[in-house]
Parts: sequence; structure tokens; C-alpha cells
Amino acid sequence: MRLRFFLLCTALIAVHLVLHVALALGPAAPDLVVVALLLASRALGSAAGAAALGFALGLAEDAFAAVSFGASVFALTVVGALGARTRDFFVGDSIPFLAVFLALGKWGRDLLEWVASDPVARPPFHDLALAESPLAALYAAAAGLGVRLLFIRRPPVRRRP
Amino acid sequence: MDLLVAVGLVLGSLIVLNLPPGPQRAMRHLLRETVLGPFIEINGAIARTRERALGFDVLRTQMDSLVAPVAAHRTLAEENRQLRNLLELRDRRGRRARAVTVIRVGTAGSESAFHLDSGSDGGIGAFGAVVTEGGLLGQVQEVFSRYSVGYDWSHRDFRVAAMTPDARAHGLVEAVRGGFREQDRLVIRGTAYLSDLSPGDELVTSGRGGTFPRGIRIGWIAGPADASVGWSRSYYVEPAVHPGAVTHAVVYTGSETGATVPRAGGALPPERADPP
Repeated sequence: MRLRFFLLCTALIAVHLVLHVALALGPAAPDLVVVALLLASRALGSAAGAAALGFALGLAEDAFAAVSFGASVFALTVVGALGARTRDFFVGDSIPFLAVFLALGKWGRDLLEWVASDPVARPPFHDLALAESPLAALYAAAAGLGVRLLFIRRPPVRRRP
Repeated sequence: MDLLVAVGLVLGSLIVLNLPPGPQRAMRHLLRETVLGPFIEINGAIARTRERALGFDVLRTQMDSLVAPVAAHRTLAEENRQLRNLLELRDRRGRRARAVTVIRVGTAGSESAFHLDSGSDGGIGAFGAVVTEGGLLGQVQEVFSRYSVGYDWSHRDFRVAAMTPDARAHGLVEAVRGGFREQDRLVIRGTAYLSDLSPGDELVTSGRGGTFPRGIRIGWIAGPADASVGWSRSYYVEPAVHPGAVTHAVVYTGSETGATVPRAGGALPPERADPP
């Protein structure tokens, strides 16, 4: 992973902590941890490295969990590992692909977290899966695309003379 | 090999998920004190700044509104003392309290929890009641030297013994989840079937169990929830405190003879109830 990409992912995680921990914006701020994890997993290409990153990020997320400590750890570890494996199946870095990739990643994270959470404390499945999480996934995908367009340069396209 | 390590990490995450409460508490504490410490400090600084931004006129109005009740209280306290002496009753035990800043974070799963900027160094103990000027906010759960962690009434484990101020109805108040978190509310269960509570009736803590002191406002009856015929009734309760809006609270730290008056930023000494 290039230094520029590493710095970008670190900055995304720091901004996420500022928005969610320091400013306590909650759902009003996008889930930049998932965006950083998915971008890093594609860049790393190693399922183990991406899973380790997801594990560490999940621990930081769960430090404030009132119940179900470890649910974010599980969800982000799985999402990181699967995100890295997508390199074996999908080649390319187009805007539509990235939008779908980020949205599905965020949606998957929420669903996995719901599965791992305490049944008494989690919201009804249909509310999460059909209302809250899809909106949050679109929000995260939009934020990720913004980051992609602003900070990640695509290699120049060679044109035939 | 790469895949095996990844599978091992997934299994490790499942182990974290199923750790007993002690190690989970230690891991949370380590993360809050190291990586996340600066962000929590910023959050606390913002909360304190927001408190200070409260206009002087508002604070003056609040102070003025307390003058008459405090003056009346002194006369009442003296009458009460004389009557208790006549009946040869012991003095009622007062409560010590400590003013704290309430810090909330916005990460997933932290909706019912809050941080307090004071811990065991400030005299705060586990299970102390956290109270605002509106009423009961929640309860302290974990206490560390410099900070403590509590949960508010929307937590699934929150329970408080409640009664009407005239003690004609008693019950147990707990949280019930709404479709969305904003729709969470309280319900009082186990009131006597013949105790007819009306919307707007106030509920306060009854002091049963000893965790919450008696007389702290919980909320008001909103309407009937369900009934077991001939046995008991349940009612929805409109909470007195909305947790998301709270930045300042008082934690009860113990009991002693005499009443107490909160003082910001420190342990609260008992106020003498004697007339001036």
C-alpha cells in the first residue's frame, strides 16, 4: 500500500473518531471506518492484513458499547477479510463499482453486527435491514466516492496516436 | 496461509464477543485511556463549553426561582425537626452528591451509555444515581479512578422502583424499545390493579432496594400499556429527562445527616438545616 493511501486511510479513521467520539454526531456523520477499511482492504489485497485492520478498528468502535462488546470487532473483521478477497473476483476501480462496493460493505457490516449483537438489545431486523442500514450505506458510499474523487488519482489513460 | 490467518482473526473476534465481563471491561478501559483518550477529552471540553454558553439571564432566572422555595424550606425544616423531636424520631439522612459533566459519544452500540468526568477519586461509587434538574437520568455502572461510565434509563437493564408522590401506587419502571431509538420510552409494571393512574400523574423513585434515593422524579404517566385482569396494570411513562440533551448532572455518592446543596466542580458538603 502506497504511503499516500496509508495516510488517507489513517486520516479517514481520525476524522471518523472526531465526528463520532469527539463531536458525538452519531448517524448524522458517515461511517468512515468502513470506508477506510474497504479502501485499505482493496489496496492491501491480503485477507489477513485487512482482517487484522478490521479487528483493531472494531475494538476501537466497541470501546463505548453499552452491550454486545465484540459485535463491531466481528463485523469489521469479516468485512475486511471479504473486502480483500474481492480483488480476486473483481478487477477495476471504476466509480460505479466503488459505489456498490462501499454500499454493500457498509450494509454487510450492519447486518453482521446485528447478527452478533445481543438479541434483547438490537433493533427489529426489518427496521435495520430495510430502513436504517440502506440509508447509512448510501451515505457511506457517497462519502467514500467523495474521498475517492478528491484524493485518489487514477492513472492517466493512454491514448493511441 | 493468508486465508488461514484471516479465519483465525475471525475466530479471535468471536472469542472477544464471548469474553466474560471482567476482561471486556479491562479492554474497554485500556482503549479509552490510550487511543481514544484525546477524543474523549475534546468531547468533554465541548460539553463544558456548551454548559458555560448557557446565558447569564437563564442562570439568573433559575437562581431567582430557587430563592422562594429555599426560604420556605428553612422554615419547613425547622418545623419538621421540632416535630421529629416531639415524636422522638432520628434525623432524616441527607445525601451527598457530586456535580459532573456528562459526555456522550456517537459510536454504534453506545446509545444508552455515557461518560462522567469524575471517578473514584471524586468519591463516585458504582450504582450511584445520576440526576439532573429535571429528574432521574440513569445509574453509574463502571467506576475508574478518573472517570466513570453509566447508562441512562433507555438501557435494557435499567430498573427503578417507583411510586406516585402520595405513595398510593407502586411499581417497577423499565425501558421498552420503540421501532426506532427515538421512540424508546418507559413503562411502569406491577402496579395494583385497582390503582387507577391518570395521564399526567407524576412518578418518583420510591427508594426501595436502596439503590436510588426516594423522591427523585422519573416522569409522568402517559397512558395505559396493558393489564393482567384482576392482578396488575402497566402504564407508559413520559420520561422527565431526555438523555441526549444532558450535559451536566449530579451523582449521589452516599448518605449523611443533613440535606445537601449541589456545588459545581466538587464534592458537596451538607447544608445545615438550622434556621439562620
